Amino acid sequence: MGNSVIVRRLGLLAVLALCVVLLALVPYLPSYYVRVADSILIYIILAVGLNLVVGYAGLLDLGFIAFYAVGAYAYALLASGQFDIHLPFIVVLFIGAAAGAIAGVLLGFPVLKLRGDYLAIVTLSFGEIIRIAINNADELTNGPQGIAGLDRASLFGLPLTSPVHFYWLLLVLTVIVCAGVYYMERSILGKAWRALREDQDVVRGLGINTTTLKLLAFALSAAIGGAGGVIFGAFQRFVSPESFTFQESLLVVLIIIIGGVGNIVGVIAGAVVLVILPEILHFAAQYRLLIYGVVLVTVIVLRPGGLVSPRFNLGFIIRKVRTLWLSPSKT
Amino acid sequence: MNRTRILLSAATLLFASGAMPVLADDVVLGGSAPMSGAQAEFGQSQIDGAQLYFDQLNEKGGIKGNKVVFRPLDDRADPRQGTLVAQQFCDDSAVIGVIGHMNSGVTMPALDIYSECGMPQVVPATNPELMRMGFKTVVRPVANDFVQGALPAKYVTGKLGLKNAVLVHDKTVFGQGISGVFKDNFEAGGGKVSGTYGTNPEDVDFSALIASIKLENPDVVYMGAGMPQLALFLKQMREQGLKAQFIGPDIGFTVDFITQVGAASAEGALMTFQLPPYDSSPELKDFSDRHQARFGRAPGPYASLGFANAQVMAAAVEKAESLDREGVLAQLHGVTVDTLLGPVAFDENGENTTAPMYLYVVKDGKFELIKQ
Amino acid sequence: MFDYFLQQLIFALAIGAIYGLIALGYTMVYGVMRLINFAHGEFFMLGPYIYTFLFSGLLGLGGLAPVLDSAIAIVASFVIVGLLGVAIERFAYRPLRAYGRLAPMLSALGMSIVLQSAVRVTVGPQPVHFPAIVESTPIDALGGMVTTVQLGILAAAVLLMVGLALFVNGTRLGIWIRAASESWTTSSLLGIRVNRAVSLVFFIGPGLGAMAGIMYASYYGIMQPTMGSVIGLKAFTAAILGGIGSIPGAMLGGFLLGAIEVFGTAFLPILSFGYIGTEYRDVFAFAVLILVLLFKPAGLLGETVSEETTVAKKDY
Repeated sequence: MGNSVIVRRLGLLAVLALCVVLLALVPYLPSYYVRVADSILIYIILAVGLNLVVGYAGLLDLGFIAFYAVGAYAYALLASGQFDIHLPFIVVLFIGAAAGAIAGVLLGFPVLKLRGDYLAIVTLSFGEIIRIAINNADELTNGPQGIAGLDRASLFGLPLTSPVHFYWLLLVLTVIVCAGVYYMERSILGKAWRALREDQDVVRGLGINTTTLKLLAFALSAAIGGAGGVIFGAFQRFVSPESFTFQESLLVVLIIIIGGVGNIVGVIAGAVVLVILPEILHFAAQYRLLIYGVVLVTVIVLRPGGLVSPRFNLGFIIRKVRTLWLSPSKT
Repeated sequence: MNRTRILLSAATLLFASGAMPVLADDVVLGGSAPMSGAQAEFGQSQIDGAQLYFDQLNEKGGIKGNKVVFRPLDDRADPRQGTLVAQQFCDDSAVIGVIGHMNSGVTMPALDIYSECGMPQVVPATNPELMRMGFKTVVRPVANDFVQGALPAKYVTGKLGLKNAVLVHDKTVFGQGISGVFKDNFEAGGGKVSGTYGTNPEDVDFSALIASIKLENPDVVYMGAGMPQLALFLKQMREQGLKAQFIGPDIGFTVDFITQVGAASAEGALMTFQLPPYDSSPELKDFSDRHQARFGRAPGPYASLGFANAQVMAAAVEKAESLDREGVLAQLHGVTVDTLLGPVAFDENGENTTAPMYLYVVKDGKFELIKQ
Repeated sequence: MFDYFLQQLIFALAIGAIYGLIALGYTMVYGVMRLINFAHGEFFMLGPYIYTFLFSGLLGLGGLAPVLDSAIAIVASFVIVGLLGVAIERFAYRPLRAYGRLAPMLSALGMSIVLQSAVRVTVGPQPVHFPAIVESTPIDALGGMVTTVQLGILAAAVLLMVGLALFVNGTRLGIWIRAASESWTTSSLLGIRVNRAVSLVFFIGPGLGAMAGIMYASYYGIMQPTMGSVIGLKAFTAAILGGIGSIPGAMLGGFLLGAIEVFGTAFLPILSFGYIGTEYRDVFAFAVLILVLLFKPAGLLGETVSEETTVAKKDY
């Protein structure tokens, strides 16, 4: 074991420690920064979920926010004065995920035989149908007024009230979701999805039912979207249709593309950039959106594959850490 | 590695942008409305109006000799971005009052945050529900939708004796809410509402809808929607020869409304507004001129409301014993001001007790006051 | 009831013509690039703004006869917006060709934000009155009523569509475009300059979008920076409905979507005894779209794709 290995180990340790320290420092920042971090984490969860469909299975879903809406409204209806039902947060979290998955299957079942852009437009339509239906169903959802005064969430007796509480909750959930998706990506299922993305006909030729594969991706991603929605509802304590527009669907797709399709590290980077960018651009007042657009185009033209190279993914990081630790001679 | 680098540089930028130079004894007030995206027109006009008043104030030496710094932030009409803006104002201890937000849906989740940090808040959004949620940090100088929907309903059922109405609204909080109020008052006045039609906020083609409304043959069409939809609807209604009395809410009270409809078609349309005519008093004339001089255009749809909200906020700061949030908050509810909108005083919920409402009719290509 | 039906049909045709013209732009670009050009709605919006700018400029210079002024301004708007389309393709889409289909789509989304915001900050966000190019006079037709503007729109749209069909089917340049839509590799092997075909498509598509924008603005009497967003999405829906990549499909899809919307508004409340209100119009339109695609997965006139012409074997 040479000196260089020790230096490299220390370097790696320093980088990892820095990440952990940064994450642990966030709660000590002013609440605004914590809220921004919360937003980032929610979008990471959503984008990792959508990435299952877009990045792994190669299906473009332009109506993903519908599942998010389903989750948020699940919390709004089941934990508020709206119908005087007050289920605990954790229960609604599972219900929201399940409701998302059911919505995903209901949508996916008839339409997944469509290919490419036809699927994209159908998911877009579905997203709009859900939003308009929520906006019109006054008796159930209060229509455009939205539902206010949702219950303050608590988890195992601990109240979730401040942005810091949600930061920890979201951080844990993000780690769970990322780990779960990473595990799935490496399983036989993940390989089948990747094969599906590259060439559907070959997969079908192998005797694999492609529709079931797609349906599974759809349902899982919708479940993650639903769970994200529940947290959003509990966090804002107010839901209204204007949070679930087509623009939001596009934002999640943008996060994936700008970060690096099919790569969890990329998705995280994408969420960080696209949530923070508009916040930084506040100083630009009315030029805010213009600069935002210019930055988007510039970034994609300069780095068409996304900000993070596909090689630099979770697997790469884990391998690197492992080899450096267990058998440094190989590196 | 990449990720940390991005994180780090982003974080430094964030901190850098948060730190604007503010002198110790400046009075810093926040304002928020959509300044980009589809509703930018309305939000920007509100911000401009407030800015105009604070400029005027600074010319006269500010508040108690302190310069007023108005800090507007864009909320893009998105509830999530609204909460971020609210938190940003709350975290900055220099900010001692906020005028915001324009949309009820954005104001709703932000109320929580403002009240937690004791931020005095002047609310421009008009949804009646907002003031009934029990927050003690808010006041609303503008008349809520109840007053605005009731006035024309009483006028048409009473004075004009029209009894058969059709409602059209754009399925937004404002449009749906206000046409609901109109309906209640219209029916209370002995009228009958024969149909209610929903549209989308961005619709421009109402021809199919108007053709089917024609079958109902109404005397009155009340439309709860924004601009340019009010103008487009009336224009298409007259093109199809539907002669019913048209009534719209305050957003339509602009010169653009008449230009877009065409003077001949607009003739006779009724519109409610919180202000007496711009040329009716020297103050209003002055406001309009100053706006033109400062921004190079006539006051936008909500400029006068922004101006009046700023007057209320400034009056509370003026009376405050200490120039901080507690000081302003202590005075907020008790403040009485003679604003551009007329005299303002608040009840225990923070609603304006005297909020006036005026009814206008379009005559010879101009709005003419008919009833207060 | 017949009068009512006829009247609604006239409305459907007028709005459908505009949808069809915009859908043509989507479908042509899609045909050669397999790209959903999210910036297309902004070309539609730019049309009337550039027209107004040029028209008032000509008037300011003394001008010729008003008819001539407006004809010049219309043609010039087509050319300017077309060239802008070519430039955007060159700088924002072409560098991304090798990177799958998501990267250009993101670039298109970004361009859409840029164009819309640029117009908003230069001329302000408020809707502006657009003076009618043709004076609107109502004409009675079989108990219905049709205005000269509606007739003008229909005539102009049909003229442009037929012109485009003749161009694509009958000229050398048109054949390039069709060849490029079929297969890039084969076309370039046959000596067709694919890049020129792409540029041509990016000239014609946005130009037609601008024409649709001018018609739309003079029909409704207003223009505003956000006018392209919603209608762009609708026209895209129309293109998909007709079968994306197919030029007759886009026209059919446009008229069909116009009809669905108008009839959804006019008959849904009647047929459902008032239970489903007019606010469900778009739900109805989207539901029809989904149903059509379930039975005709490539849209109404879309070819059932062969392996060669399909989006390769990879979806995204």
